Amino acid sequence: MSELPTILAGVEHAFTLTNLLFVVFGVMAGQFVGAMPGTGPVMAMAIAIPFTFALDPLPAIAFLVGVNKGGLFGGSIPAILINTPGTPDAAATAFDGHPLARKGKPEKATKMALFSSVTGDTFSDIVLITVSAPLAALALKMGPVEIFALMVFAFSIIAGLVGDSMVKGLIAAALGLLAAMVGLDPEHGTPRLYFGHFELFDGLPLAAVAIGMLAVSEILRRLAAIGSDILPTIVIPKSQSKDDRRVSWAEYWSCRYVMLRGAIIGTILGAIPGVGSTAAAFISYASAKQAAKDPDSFGKGNIQGVAATESANSAVVGANLIPLLTLGIPGSVTAALLISAFKIHGIQPGPLLFEQEGRLIYGLFAAMLMANLMNLLLGQVSLRLWSFAVKAPETLVFTSALVLCIAGVYVSTGGAFGVVIMLIFALTGYFMSLFGYSVVVFIIAFFLGNKFELSLSQTLVILDGHPTNLLSHPLALVLLTCAVLSAWWLGFYAPRKARKKA
Amino acid sequence: MKTSPPLQSQGSGSFTGKHIVSLNRLSGLFFVLAGLLLYFVIIPAETETVDYGWLRPQTIPNACAMAMTTLGALHALIPTGSISVKLREILKVTFFTAFTLLSLWLMETFGFLLIAPLFAGALMLLVGERRIGWLAGGAIVFPVAIWLAVVPLLERSLP
Amino acid sequence: MKLKTAFAGLMALLMLTGLARAEWKPSGPVTLEIGFDAGGETDTLGRVIAKEMADQTGWTMVVKNKPGGGGIAMFTTLAVAKPDGQTIGMGVNMPILVNLVLRGDKLPFKLDSFDYLATVARAQVALVAKKDAPFNDLKGLVDYSKSHEGTIVSFDAKPQELLMRFVNKQAGADIKLISTKSSAESIQEVLGGHVIAAFAAGAHIPYLESGDLKMIASANATRHSYAPDAQTVTEQGFDIFVDPYFFIAAPKGLPADAKDALAKALDKAINSDATRKAIVNALKTDPSDLGPDGTEKMLVDGVQNVKKLFDK
Repeated sequence: MSELPTILAGVEHAFTLTNLLFVVFGVMAGQFVGAMPGTGPVMAMAIAIPFTFALDPLPAIAFLVGVNKGGLFGGSIPAILINTPGTPDAAATAFDGHPLARKGKPEKATKMALFSSVTGDTFSDIVLITVSAPLAALALKMGPVEIFALMVFAFSIIAGLVGDSMVKGLIAAALGLLAAMVGLDPEHGTPRLYFGHFELFDGLPLAAVAIGMLAVSEILRRLAAIGSDILPTIVIPKSQSKDDRRVSWAEYWSCRYVMLRGAIIGTILGAIPGVGSTAAAFISYASAKQAAKDPDSFGKGNIQGVAATESANSAVVGANLIPLLTLGIPGSVTAALLISAFKIHGIQPGPLLFEQEGRLIYGLFAAMLMANLMNLLLGQVSLRLWSFAVKAPETLVFTSALVLCIAGVYVSTGGAFGVVIMLIFALTGYFMSLFGYSVVVFIIAFFLGNKFELSLSQTLVILDGHPTNLLSHPLALVLLTCAVLSAWWLGFYAPRKARKKA
Repeated sequence: MKTSPPLQSQGSGSFTGKHIVSLNRLSGLFFVLAGLLLYFVIIPAETETVDYGWLRPQTIPNACAMAMTTLGALHALIPTGSISVKLREILKVTFFTAFTLLSLWLMETFGFLLIAPLFAGALMLLVGERRIGWLAGGAIVFPVAIWLAVVPLLERSLP
Repeated sequence: MKLKTAFAGLMALLMLTGLARAEWKPSGPVTLEIGFDAGGETDTLGRVIAKEMADQTGWTMVVKNKPGGGGIAMFTTLAVAKPDGQTIGMGVNMPILVNLVLRGDKLPFKLDSFDYLATVARAQVALVAKKDAPFNDLKGLVDYSKSHEGTIVSFDAKPQELLMRFVNKQAGADIKLISTKSSAESIQEVLGGHVIAAFAAGAHIPYLESGDLKMIASANATRHSYAPDAQTVTEQGFDIFVDPYFFIAAPKGLPADAKDALAKALDKAINSDATRKAIVNALKTDPSDLGPDGTEKMLVDGVQNVKKLFDK
């Protein structure tokens, strides 16, 4: 931190009215598009990028950072209000957020999501700003073998979310992994399981599968469940006390450990490219549930579940910039979009970035903090707006959501093919949940499948196929041991104990 | 992990007691067959092989297929967990999916701007909405707003 | 709003050119299909070029993403589009060539299914190692591998793997290869000491400047402008190279005047300041438009080269 003048210049550079306006506009656009079922933060970014071509670097990046942060919070809104998450990380938000909304407390749930999202985001931004260089150096030590071990560990923690049948959960995971195998294999680049459709060379489109399984299947189910009385989508009791509409300081403060843990998990997984926000969100949720005194209340509208998820997945966003700025490695799809935007504006991530573009980078940091503040302020408005919108009848809300999903997937996958995939997976997801095969486990395995196969392949080459060579990778050994322990604890010990109690 | 207690029946058209357990077993059997089909037919036919490397393109798909068969068999023998099958809802959901597919095909042929409002309107009528104001909102205002936002404003294409 | 101004521009142009001479112009919007997802390098460059073209010619340009298989999905539909000059597509040669060579019988198009219009730029592929690596050239790497019972090199695209296997075969080097998702990840493995050397396409340049990495070879047919001293793989005794080009094509059977007008408009757009800036920023190289004939030759020669990579 010897470059104080650079920092000050950067901050000064950032705090202009133009930049503030671009941040505000970005956050607004992100929150709006992110909140639409069927679109989500990735699409908000992809659409926003061409609009920044004509801008100067700092306002362009400030705008995109705004879209990214706004979109991430926006994504939690449909998950909470109508149980239609557009991305897997928002799926964990819906676990407790939606039951809260069904109890007539949509504003409380979305507010908690907003506060914990901004908390986690700010935490990881501060980590990024203060210690990104040493963290990046540490992350470099994580080679393919260590990443592989980390993924196994992540899978083992998520095993705690399988539900009431371990066998069914494992089948769902195998199915999700199999779906991830469609397309080119990562080691040899040969196509497989594409059934003559060249669109599938790159694998099943992530957005189509996630939106189909998580959102459309729920939309179809809810449409089918509409009876002779058409109700508003969310019924808010007329005489609702003020406490049920807001998050009190005491409630916020009671979530402090949950949020801190979420923020730390998110920051670590964000700094290590490859595992991503899906794993962060679920690991944080699973560990909050395990650590809680009343784990049974999770999934039924426990506000801590919302706090755990949102703080973790938002913390990933800031921390993703650590490998992004120092090495040019995207930790997520949105980070990959951000890199290409950086490049368009002549910012080359890498070792010389802070030296050559110091003023710009500190400007970016200032813009990020600005965006967090704007997210907090504007979020208050937009969550009220959406909470009001879901007072409309179910018929209107779910029909419109379906039309949106069709349009959104059509645009993001570039054609009707993606929409067909979306519908196939909507039906698959519906039947899976009928028969008690966890859709969420499927989605996690599907999203992590490619990276898992790639790092397994890299690991086998590095170890030359001999497990004994693992001995020269102590960190990987520790992680694998933890994985075995947590799989035993979460998969067998804890459920058995819970059953005995019941 | 012993057998789960039979579920209560849920509303009209649900399966009850014993049927639930057999359906649950049946889902295991489904994965046994799916796994075998994948392992012996689909994966060999749809995977190009290579002759070097530790991890071949078919390694993990085959492992998944085998896991499905084994776990499915285990589940068919000792079913665990619960299921909630409502026949009426299944029929409705399947119908809505088919209806959406048909509308998608019509959109590709006649354009989003023409078909999306018809699709939304028909769907709302099907689920019982009769109030003209809400119908107009869902069938006209909303689809047209989406089209306006995507095509002229964002310069992206819809069918 | 843009549509409106573009439309006004088109009308103005129609009047002007109508008075001057009958030059080919599209009778509607020209669609540039991108064989990759929104937000990637190809998408970025395509959108800049389309914008420049629209500004320079007054035509209405529409950009559409058709991702899948490194461009295969897009070229599949492009091959059967109407050759009226109103549908053109942008992709990268390597995935097309690799698939034509490996599974040409399964692809619904051949090289001669298209009329070629332009190349946009060539990606700079280099083999790099950490600055303190105990070798400075390819031969040194081969010797290092031999004396250490094999070593590991990372790559991010199939042709790079094949090139290294070619070297392995010729020199008996026993170099093992690990696949990564991007040049940046490949470089991360080198910097972290997990592999001894890596292939990278542009992302390595800042590390050369900072002195963290050194360049072992250029994997292209020629040396790179930023590192004129680093010899190509061919110069170092292995008769093989990879030349990834971004190129633009149209369905076969374009009228001669349309092909000419499109090629001219593309050339002008590719060499404009805005596009140059985008190319330099995204790929760390200069624009290089080989023109219609040069583009076709590049692809035809490319097939031979890729066959050699696959040892076919």
